[in-house]
Amino acid sequence: MKRITIKNMIVTTVLLLSLGSCEKSFLELQPPTSLTPEAALATEADLQVALRGAYAGLKSTALYGRSLMVIGDMMGDNTYQSVLNTNRYTAFNSYNYTVTDGDVSGLWTASYSVILRANNIINSTIAENANIQQIKGEAYAIRALAYYNLVRYFATPYTSDPTSLGVPIITVYQADLKPGRAKVSEVYALINKDLTQAYTLMTKFTNSSQFSKYAARALQAKVYLTMGDKTNAKTAALDVITNSGFTPLTVAGHAAYWAGVAPRTDKVETLLEISFDAVANNAFDALSYIYLQSGNYGDMLCSTDLYALFEAADGRKALYATGTRGGLASIFVNKYTSFTGDHSDTKVIRFSEMYLIAAEASYPSNIADALKYVNEVTSRRGATAIASSGSILFEDIINERRKELAFEGERYLDLQRLNRNVVRSKNYPAAALSIDFTNFRRIMPIPQGELDANPNIKTQQNPGWF
Amino acid sequence: MRKFVAILLCAFLTVTQVAAQNKIIKGKVTEDGKKPISNASVLVKGTTTATKTNEEGNFSITIPVNGKVLKFSSLNFEDQEVNIGSKTEINVVLVSTVSDLQQVIVTGYGTTKKATNTGSIATVKAADIENLPFSSVDKALQGKVAGLQSVASSGQPGASQAILIRGASSITASNSPLWVIDGVPVNAGDASRLQTTGNLLSTLNPNDIESISVLKDAASQSIYGSRAANGVIVVTTKKGKSGKTKFRFDTELGQSDVAYQNEKYKPLDANEYINITREGMVNAGYTAAQINSTVSSLGEGNGINYNWYDNIMRVGQQKQYNLSAEGGNDKTTFFLSGGHFAQEGTSLNSQLKRNNVNVRITNKATDKLTIGLNLNAGNVNQRAPLNGGAFGNPLLSTYFLLPTYSAFKPDGSYNYVLNGGLHNTIALAELDKRFLRQTSARGSLTGEYKILDNLKFRSVYGIDYNALEEDQYNNPLHGDGLASNGRAFAYYTRYFNYVWTNTLDLQQNITRNGDLSTSTQIGYEAQKSAGYFSSLQSQQFPPSLSLTYPASGASPTTASATISDYTFESQFASTNLNYKNRFVLSGSFRRDGSSRFSAKNRYGNFWALGATWNIDREEFMVNNTLFDQLKLRGSYGVNGNAGIGNYDAPALYGFGFNYNQLPGSGPTNVGDENLTWELNKPMNIGLDFSVLKNKVNVTIDYYIRKSENLLLSVPLSSTSGFGSATRNIGSMENKGVEISLNLIPVQTKDFRWDVDFNFANNKNKITSLPGHADILSGNFIIREGQSLNTFFLREWAGVDIATGDPQWYYTDKHQASSNIYPGANARILAGQALPKFFGSLTNALTYKGFNLSAQLYYNFGNQVFDTWRGYYLGSGFGATFNKVKRQLDAWRQPGDKTDVPKYVYNGNKNFNSGSTYNLNDGSFVRVRDIQLGYTLPKSYADKLKIGNANIYVRGTNLFTWVKDKNMPFDPEQGTGSASNLNVFIPKTVTVGLSLNF
Repeated sequence: MKRITIKNMIVTTVLLLSLGSCEKSFLELQPPTSLTPEAALATEADLQVALRGAYAGLKSTALYGRSLMVIGDMMGDNTYQSVLNTNRYTAFNSYNYTVTDGDVSGLWTASYSVILRANNIINSTIAENANIQQIKGEAYAIRALAYYNLVRYFATPYTSDPTSLGVPIITVYQADLKPGRAKVSEVYALINKDLTQAYTLMTKFTNSSQFSKYAARALQAKVYLTMGDKTNAKTAALDVITNSGFTPLTVAGHAAYWAGVAPRTDKVETLLEISFDAVANNAFDALSYIYLQSGNYGDMLCSTDLYALFEAADGRKALYATGTRGGLASIFVNKYTSFTGDHSDTKVIRFSEMYLIAAEASYPSNIADALKYVNEVTSRRGATAIASSGSILFEDIINERRKELAFEGERYLDLQRLNRNVVRSKNYPAAALSIDFTNFRRIMPIPQGELDANPNIKTQQNPGWF
Repeated sequence: MRKFVAILLCAFLTVTQVAAQNKIIKGKVTEDGKKPISNASVLVKGTTTATKTNEEGNFSITIPVNGKVLKFSSLNFEDQEVNIGSKTEINVVLVSTVSDLQQVIVTGYGTTKKATNTGSIATVKAADIENLPFSSVDKALQGKVAGLQSVASSGQPGASQAILIRGASSITASNSPLWVIDGVPVNAGDASRLQTTGNLLSTLNPNDIESISVLKDAASQSIYGSRAANGVIVVTTKKGKSGKTKFRFDTELGQSDVAYQNEKYKPLDANEYINITREGMVNAGYTAAQINSTVSSLGEGNGINYNWYDNIMRVGQQKQYNLSAEGGNDKTTFFLSGGHFAQEGTSLNSQLKRNNVNVRITNKATDKLTIGLNLNAGNVNQRAPLNGGAFGNPLLSTYFLLPTYSAFKPDGSYNYVLNGGLHNTIALAELDKRFLRQTSARGSLTGEYKILDNLKFRSVYGIDYNALEEDQYNNPLHGDGLASNGRAFAYYTRYFNYVWTNTLDLQQNITRNGDLSTSTQIGYEAQKSAGYFSSLQSQQFPPSLSLTYPASGASPTTASATISDYTFESQFASTNLNYKNRFVLSGSFRRDGSSRFSAKNRYGNFWALGATWNIDREEFMVNNTLFDQLKLRGSYGVNGNAGIGNYDAPALYGFGFNYNQLPGSGPTNVGDENLTWELNKPMNIGLDFSVLKNKVNVTIDYYIRKSENLLLSVPLSSTSGFGSATRNIGSMENKGVEISLNLIPVQTKDFRWDVDFNFANNKNKITSLPGHADILSGNFIIREGQSLNTFFLREWAGVDIATGDPQWYYTDKHQASSNIYPGANARILAGQALPKFFGSLTNALTYKGFNLSAQLYYNFGNQVFDTWRGYYLGSGFGATFNKVKRQLDAWRQPGDKTDVPKYVYNGNKNFNSGSTYNLNDGSFVRVRDIQLGYTLPKSYADKLKIGNANIYVRGTNLFTWVKDKNMPFDPEQGTGSASNLNVFIPKTVTVGLSLNF
């Protein structure tokens, strides 16, 4: 009896203890679909993958997926919300958006998410070769684009006060940093530095859905114009026109160009677009879905005063259709044509804009150039050539910009850099027909979520917001 | 070790010496002095002479000359030995080893007796959870246990249910208790990925449950160590009893309707909508021509006045059938059952069906070895509509679709042209498919070996298997499938969870007379939960609406599969010292390792101490006539919480950020190498007493739970590229009192009145945060000194009598107000989402065969946020969506005193934006359960040759009283206390029949 007991007990205890020393790997579990940052950014091929991640960030609905494009026209005078609507962007239509607005915070957070992805590529310490320089060059350009959007929406225009508060500058990842805002001029200095780097480093052209040397240069031309630096804007625009090897869109190719949905390799017109395909797209939240009447939304309509600017023979007029919505005569926008299968891409920079920049930058110093370059556009659209002079010429160039770049998110930002009031057609709510340049809602507030999380920015809210 | 063996030997040497003769002994074996135990074995110890008890529990045995001791044994009862001496009649009461709740309490890795329990444990009996119209057992627990808050956020059958025991212990990590079913810690909660809600426990039939123990304090929980921070719910399923095979059949049929509706929040009819729209367009400054054409396009005068609300709400059908059989002999017992449960929600497209089976077999292989198997398997088929702001949500469409648009065209076909891009959810109920099929199997194999009479080894291998198949089809003609020419999804989710637990139990007298004794347990446990997930979607469907699976789509757009696992490895020990059942001291220790933390922080040590003083057993209480029971309990300990994501500790780069259909990567997790267990330190003091011959039984507990090293999602500046990071930082406290009162005011031969009352208040307070800084998330603020989930909103200041404009206070001091929506600084603390106190009151009357019982559930002191208020009560915001009746109270002319601002087409000055206007006082009292039953008298039952028959009619949630007359929807809206246009919570009337034969 005694012996059995002891034997049993020893067996049991040994059994129990042996179970207790389960193999060590039992608690070592690796995440199945992720890598550590070191492992994810170890080689040239890894950086290429990370670069695509940065482009994918620009596809967010908050950025080139939709909001950046819609708001850029709606806060101006090009697009308005139909009385029959799904209630999207209502607060921008009626100019009463608040510090808690989801589209505003989306623009902020999605931009900084792209900046993080670009920073991690730029700061890679892998030995450089031509391929890595190309990748880094594209990342510099992406970062510049993100800051350019941020500083234009969240800060006083450079042309109004370059010393006012811009946005926080982050070039190195630090999770716990609570940064204050840099000056507008400092943000533009970074943008220009990045674009110069991009221009220097890049040697390759893949297709229109990725930055190339001259896409970066074209963006720089826009940036200079936004800063009111006409000399540099013209130099950069002419560099693209002369040296890029890109060709402009013609009247014959116009309709087919806008109907196309795939990135281009032929260097026609598109310097950069953000690509949406049949698999990775924003579905109902696609840009095309909110304009086209054939789907379920079609909320956004073309303002009557914009439509009135197009001559009958203008090829661009064919991108609009007239009809009725909500019982009211309406003008429909057909610039983005596809929301099934391969979706329409979002144009970021087009070759034709280089002519418009060169024209505007030539005024008033070189009227002949101004006329020459603006008519490089009118002549390719079937519109009557512009022959005006003086301030009317300037207005004509600005109007040509409005017509050419309508529904591409540019109009409001043009009015911002020109420090102009927004004067809207009767399509808009009666209480929001005229928005003075000094109205505090012309500059977006630092989002409430950022104020709540970052004590250093809390005291730096834009004037008028609190 | 040597000393230990010596003690064992001492115990063995104390053998009783008695003289013996050859004689016949008769007697009866019962469970509680009345209930006979049939088939019990009666053995003359040391001989082969044995017999069994008959149906009435009686036996007769001839004792051989050398017979000295009779040994009585029956499965699921403790063996008992009786000295024969000079007795001729021996009546024995055996003590159940199963959860006979009067005496034995199922705890962590075993059972304890009520007298020796040092912890705070509440138990729920089978009768309280059987035959209820609830799709899962967690819903049935509402109001049953003091301090256990069980809250629904949806009336969808099969919806998940939030349970908080003694408040919320964590801000970011899990607040859900650990569910242990027959010794196996299982995965619980919502595992659905495509449906709006699901509940793993919905595959478990509440009728198969014998008892539930809710472990609320350190002494009872800490043996579960790092798993126990939010309490433990221990479920024991039914076991068979030996004897003639007994059958039981239960059935129930019923109907359900919306439990709470507010007439002020019914949608407008066509005239009302058109009139207020005209009014709003005038107020917005439109010309008469514009107004006429717009209201005409919105359906003015088209003769249609369609009531979407009435057509989407419906009476739900409810039924269940359960059949069980139990029986066995002294070696083997079994319990078998099967059930069917079907329930429809109160609106279209909401239903659940469950089929399940349950087997439990226990075999006494030898005197020393007992083996057991139990297996519980079930399948549910659930259909749940979309919720929240989805255009396909039927509830949303009842409030948003205009009454001037009908679901049908004049020719009877579906109308697809509706306002605001919204969907015809009546059409989609037929044309689209949304299914969840969930199959679960939970089971365990148990072996228990008695090494010595007082030393046993037990090994349990348990599995918990859940497979979820989710299908969704969106037709190409209308709705969510339109943009992709039809689309279908198929998601497969599988969790396989296994646990192997080995324990060694020792019962030992320390003093020879047994005055001081100990019971000790050591154990080892390893658990792994392996998740597997595959997801696919295809688009571009053929026009036929009967091809609803992804196989028919031309364009596959999602093809994904991955895994997610976690493991735990634990060693534990517990012991208690018992002095004459007067003083009991208990202690436990557990060391856990978790795969969720980095190697350097992987292990945590958890412990608890508890003590009980049974004052009624003291000698100075011998002459006491007041107290039948008087007991003081106390405990303190540390347990942990690892309820975060499986891979939250490392910094991560994820993939899937693809571009041009080529792979892309991006940072996905900030990570923190130092991440470790969140600590929970509960202190409990309890008092149990019974007076007036056990007619008044009271349990009072006071507790303080401190949570430290909180696993907190700390908000980051979004300029970092991240919104938040999980860190161990901050602390929190829950304090409260729980009272359970059981009264028997009247008890006569035929009549009995029982009153059960329970009350719990819990005060939650954040005690420290990083840098003492507030953390804001959504509508809530996390601030030192305040309760978790405190609403932080701009303060509504009423309608301007002169202009009809909405107004808000500018500062938190109620000073100036303005018609401009104020900035972030103007937000105020606006009440909490969690109730200040809650509980229930049950009255049960029994007269002969009749019983009548009613349970009231009450909940006080929280606020409920009306998430979508801005749309249906936004004074014109979302102008082309319908509004609710309360909107008709809008201001119209100077001097109007109203709480609804002037109606302006497309919105009146941000009135739609969130403010304290969205809050309603969430206090309510509800008749949770009312039941009238009749049990057939035994004489009739015998004539019909059945054991027992009971019929009843039951009402669930029949009446709901709310304090706030502007409460739009049911006051029960989850622990976040915000409505989200979910299926409404039902009130149900059922009739049922229960037969034993």
